[in-house]
Amino acid sequence: MDSMDRKRSSSEASPWLMTMPWVVTLLVFWAYPLGYALALGFAKYDIFSRTWQWVGFANFRAVLTNSDFWSALGHTAVFTAGTVPATTVLSLLLALALNRRMWGRSVFRAGYFAPTLTATVVTALVFIHLYGQGGYLFRLAQFTGLPLPSQGFLLSESTALVSVMLMDVWVSIGYYALLFLAGLQAVPQELVEDAQMHGANSWQRFWAITWPYLRPTMLYAIVINLIKSLQIFTEIFVMTQGGPVGSTTTSVYHVYTAAFERFDLGYASAAAYLLFVIIALVSVIQFRLLQFGRGAEE
Amino acid sequence: MSKPGGPLLPILLLLGMLGMLFPFIWMVVGSVSPRWNAGWFNPFGESASWGNYADLFAAMPFGRFLVNSAVVAAVVTLGNIALCFPIGYALARYRFKGRRALYGSAALVLMVPQYVLVVPMFVLIHQLGWYDTLWAITIPVLVSPLGILLVKGAVSSVPIEIEEAARMDGAGPWRIVYRIVLPICRPTLAVLAVQVFWLTWNAFLFPFILTGENARTMPVALAMFRGYQQVDLPHLFAAATLATLPVVAVFVIFQRQIIAGITAGAVKG
Repeated sequence: MDSMDRKRSSSEASPWLMTMPWVVTLLVFWAYPLGYALALGFAKYDIFSRTWQWVGFANFRAVLTNSDFWSALGHTAVFTAGTVPATTVLSLLLALALNRRMWGRSVFRAGYFAPTLTATVVTALVFIHLYGQGGYLFRLAQFTGLPLPSQGFLLSESTALVSVMLMDVWVSIGYYALLFLAGLQAVPQELVEDAQMHGANSWQRFWAITWPYLRPTMLYAIVINLIKSLQIFTEIFVMTQGGPVGSTTTSVYHVYTAAFERFDLGYASAAAYLLFVIIALVSVIQFRLLQFGRGAEE
Repeated sequence: MSKPGGPLLPILLLLGMLGMLFPFIWMVVGSVSPRWNAGWFNPFGESASWGNYADLFAAMPFGRFLVNSAVVAAVVTLGNIALCFPIGYALARYRFKGRRALYGSAALVLMVPQYVLVVPMFVLIHQLGWYDTLWAITIPVLVSPLGILLVKGAVSSVPIEIEEAARMDGAGPWRIVYRIVLPICRPTLAVLAVQVFWLTWNAFLFPFILTGENARTMPVALAMFRGYQQVDLPHLFAAATLATLPVVAVFVIFQRQIIAGITAGAVKG
């Protein structure tokens, strides 16, 4: 090989060499499993004898006619519809408060962020006992004088899901507040001061100046929170195992039990793919809606 | 930052923060309490019992679970930086066949929910003979689509003149990537490192499904630990505290980078 050739080959080979780890990862750990799962959706696979039997659309039919699938989807929808708006509003308020100049600001920022930092499993374990009969949160609630489930919040059908949702909001606030705090740094201070001098109150200043700058961050925060909430699993697994009486069985937990408790890999794969399609549709619709509201200024 | 407010806001925030931190304070205090009465104890009434921590290591191989977690988190974090950087760089700088497809694939798989992969990954890891090894929870996440997208964005905003100057001085492509461009992109890599470390240290679903007793990580061990009938709360909370300490340590040491990291990601996103 002469020197001209070597020079060219080294500069041309590099992008391929550089991207090789991704090509391998993509093929082995994404494309192959995704294809495999799709194939499983049309098969009955025996995990012990490792034998396949093609069954056509039987798995998909089984999923769609299973009322457990739909109620799990309902629980997931309730979870998402409850936690995403609550987290967004509360963390935005916290970010606006933390954006003011005051003593202890950096301590507050770190303190509110701490729950996010902690492993979900740890938080869930601690909350099992806070929510339990005799736990601090349970005793605190007793002061309100409302009728409480005697077994503790997580063992009652009517309060279990809401309890997990409240914990999720509590954990997430610090993280999204930090995101919003970052977004707020993009707001030009001259504009704020100018508006202040012209007598705009804080409400007017927020909508006229802060909000347009904050919107990209808001879009990002809502989308990732939505995706995360639709996949809720760990909290459910640790805290309630989907119970009591299936009242906290979310979609992913439903897939999990089908695969690893009933070993019905075909059903689990079909259900996972159907959820994938549903979530993709929700994401697209949501993105369209949020993008639509944006058109006015751009 | 807007005008300084009165003392009311800081006081409210302080109370709120104590409320946020209460479960963790409770966890740490509970972990050293010798006795427990239906989740209600008086931390001032009894002397602390550090023996709970020693009991843990005697009862279960918690040392191994901690080491597993640390090794996996460290390798995955460093691997993501070392491997995603050239990938993102190549996508930003070279015009080659398949570039768009590769970039598109990273953006696309980022949207694939984890649970679609749970069943086939379980089968695949068994086929590879990796079940209950650290390979199973390290290799598949060594290159993350998020890392590729972040690096590609960062490299695109680095002026190409810097590289041309280095090339004139005779630097080869790999030297340019790792020695010239990578240091410039350090803020983005801090974001990536923090995000990946945090996600890996706290990961539950895949480690839970792909490991057994041997390669188990801390979060999975904790969830399993709960199932042991004889485990009482002080010991459970001691284990939970152990799982939390490394993340808190990382946070205290790298607080500035972490906040800058999340901040940078958000403004770009």
